[in-house]
Amino acid sequence: MREKVEQYRAYFFLIPGLFFLFLFTYLPIMWAAWLSFNRWNLLCFKPKFAGMANYVKLLHDDVFWLVMKNTLVFVTVSIFPTMFLALIFAILIDERMKGRVYYIYSLFYPTLIPMAAAAMLWVYIYSPNLGILNVFLAKLGLPKLGWLGSSSTSLWALIIITFWKNLGFFMLIYLSGLQNVSRELYEAAYIDGAGWWRRHVSITFPLVAPTSLFVLVTAIILTFRVFDQIHLMTEGGPGNSSNVIVYYIFENGFKFFDWGKASCLTTVLVLILLTLTLIIFGIFGKRITYSSD
Amino acid sequence: MKRMYFFAIALVMVFLFFASTASAKVNIKFYYPVGVAGPLVKVINGMVAKFEKENPDIHVEPVYAGNYNQTMQKVQTAVLGGNPPDIAVVEISELFSLLQMDAIIPLDKYIEQEGGDKFLANFYEGFLGNAYGRDGKIYGFPFQRSTPILYWNKDMFKAAASKLKAAGLDANRPPANWDELVKYAKILTIREGNQTKQYGVIIPGGWNDWIFEAFSRQNGSQLIKEDGLTVTFNSPENLEALELWVKLMQELKVCPVLRPWNITPDDFIGGVTAMMYYSTGGMAKIRKTAKFNWGAAFQPKKKRYGTPVGGGDFHIFKGIPKKNQDAAWKFVKFMASPEMAGLWSIESGYVAVNKNSYDRADMKAFLKKFPQMTVAREQLNYAYPKMMAVNYQLIRNAMTTNLDAALEGKKTPEKALKDAHKLMEEAIKGQ
Repeated sequence: MREKVEQYRAYFFLIPGLFFLFLFTYLPIMWAAWLSFNRWNLLCFKPKFAGMANYVKLLHDDVFWLVMKNTLVFVTVSIFPTMFLALIFAILIDERMKGRVYYIYSLFYPTLIPMAAAAMLWVYIYSPNLGILNVFLAKLGLPKLGWLGSSSTSLWALIIITFWKNLGFFMLIYLSGLQNVSRELYEAAYIDGAGWWRRHVSITFPLVAPTSLFVLVTAIILTFRVFDQIHLMTEGGPGNSSNVIVYYIFENGFKFFDWGKASCLTTVLVLILLTLTLIIFGIFGKRITYSSD
Repeated sequence: MKRMYFFAIALVMVFLFFASTASAKVNIKFYYPVGVAGPLVKVINGMVAKFEKENPDIHVEPVYAGNYNQTMQKVQTAVLGGNPPDIAVVEISELFSLLQMDAIIPLDKYIEQEGGDKFLANFYEGFLGNAYGRDGKIYGFPFQRSTPILYWNKDMFKAAASKLKAAGLDANRPPANWDELVKYAKILTIREGNQTKQYGVIIPGGWNDWIFEAFSRQNGSQLIKEDGLTVTFNSPENLEALELWVKLMQELKVCPVLRPWNITPDDFIGGVTAMMYYSTGGMAKIRKTAKFNWGAAFQPKKKRYGTPVGGGDFHIFKGIPKKNQDAAWKFVKFMASPEMAGLWSIESGYVAVNKNSYDRADMKAFLKKFPQMTVAREQLNYAYPKMMAVNYQLIRNAMTTNLDAALEGKKTPEKALKDAHKLMEEAIKGQ
């Protein structure tokens, strides 16, 4: 009996949270899913049921496929190198006691700068003739690149700034994760004659796996919803070469005012993210059961 | 205790007094874009402060809303959210979209009060061409108005004088037509190994659809007809224009591909290019920072001189109290007065929309010092209204995306024009 009451109490306390979650997350998702079956744009000012028309159009939209490809490249290329390097830096800082605070500051600093300010800064760094990056390239005798102004480099330019921005943040998470790894394990491995690289591959990497899972999920969220730098630096251009799905949704919804298409894209994004989350927690979540305690 | 009550009541009364005076003031929200490189936000704030001083019963809240695209997005979102601004300046091609949303009011009544056609005669006709809806009513009022012009670095021309002379060209004048543009650009390009030290010309990206419209006009064509419905993007004349661009960028490599719009003036100032196509609205920055002799000229002609006008107009919105609309008109009128239009022109490089600005002594003295500032105004004689159509953001995206693809060599000019043409027709029909 008493347990039952406890249970009800728990539900009772969940109500306010669930109410807002429902109002601002689930309801809009359902609303967008419904709108995705409607034609609704500047010339058709009231939603009009159109069946699968938006989805069919999407399949024939070259820009949509380009945007999906860009998103895939952006997410994979910016997540894994960032995670790997963040872990390496965390290990180096963790081992080097002297002056570590300065290393942490200098790596973490970009995370503290608001993305809007950082983006404006990088616009000048990327400036084709006067920017510091091209000046360096020229000094090295390499050809200057178009960076933001060229469709072959614009996406990479955005990946670089995202990498620069996220590295310190992930490094800090890893650094705290490393504190849970018992020192004795390293000492034992050291006595057994394991080298630096072997010690970390066999001890650190598996033992920070829970941290890695957390970082991975955070990184996926951060990179899938990338928006500020694109909006401020390239507006998805040139020729949609740096356009990714969230920006494409924004463009369709708030620039071209085609809400039907924007809702359709949103629904696609929700489905992708849902699948990804299920995969990550379904497969990786179960396996990570180590603990160093 | 009694004293406390008295004090409290006095306090409440003081509050009420301030509250009532505050509500007597009309609050005007004013969204505006800055579409060129340069510190123009400060200039706008200064003009607003002056207006408030002359009209103490009106408070204007200027909101810098980003570039033209971003400003239109902000306006559209605000209108649909039921919280429109009182006044906004948006890019002139957006008029039909604003009308489609039923967002703005006609200004005919206000203009009638000011004296009707006699009042309008104070303003350049070329700038009023984009102000009218299909119903013949006037919905916009000119403010930051421009044409693209050709800037040229006189020192670089001089330095190449002997080479230019050998080719039968004059180093003391800019190119007058497309053929000359190619010749000058070729000679003025300086290469060192695999690096280009100096470009002949920059036709920037970002607003290349606008510059492209100018080339189209110079060749006797246009992008969309005046009705806002008939797309002519895929015309043979436009193909010739695009082929010229591709030749400059891909074949001759005398013009960088898709140089970002906002950075191009820096390239000109930094001596990276001998010529550039840019809005006259960027001239103040060049005037203040370029450390060499420079000139401004008409864009070279093909069949004729030609250019679209450009820039942004004021619009007054629906769904706000009448007293706000009246106050908004007062502000518009103030900004278009000879004094303010002249000040704006001097500080930015845009053309003063009010003809009387040019009769003012300060303007005359200024133009004597910087005759380059008169070029855009004189080019108005060859100017046409800019293309207008509903769903303009979608149309513009179709144009720039395909122009970009052609200029980067990823599509043939024929295919780029054909693809854009199809997308533009779909956008106009809302499919």
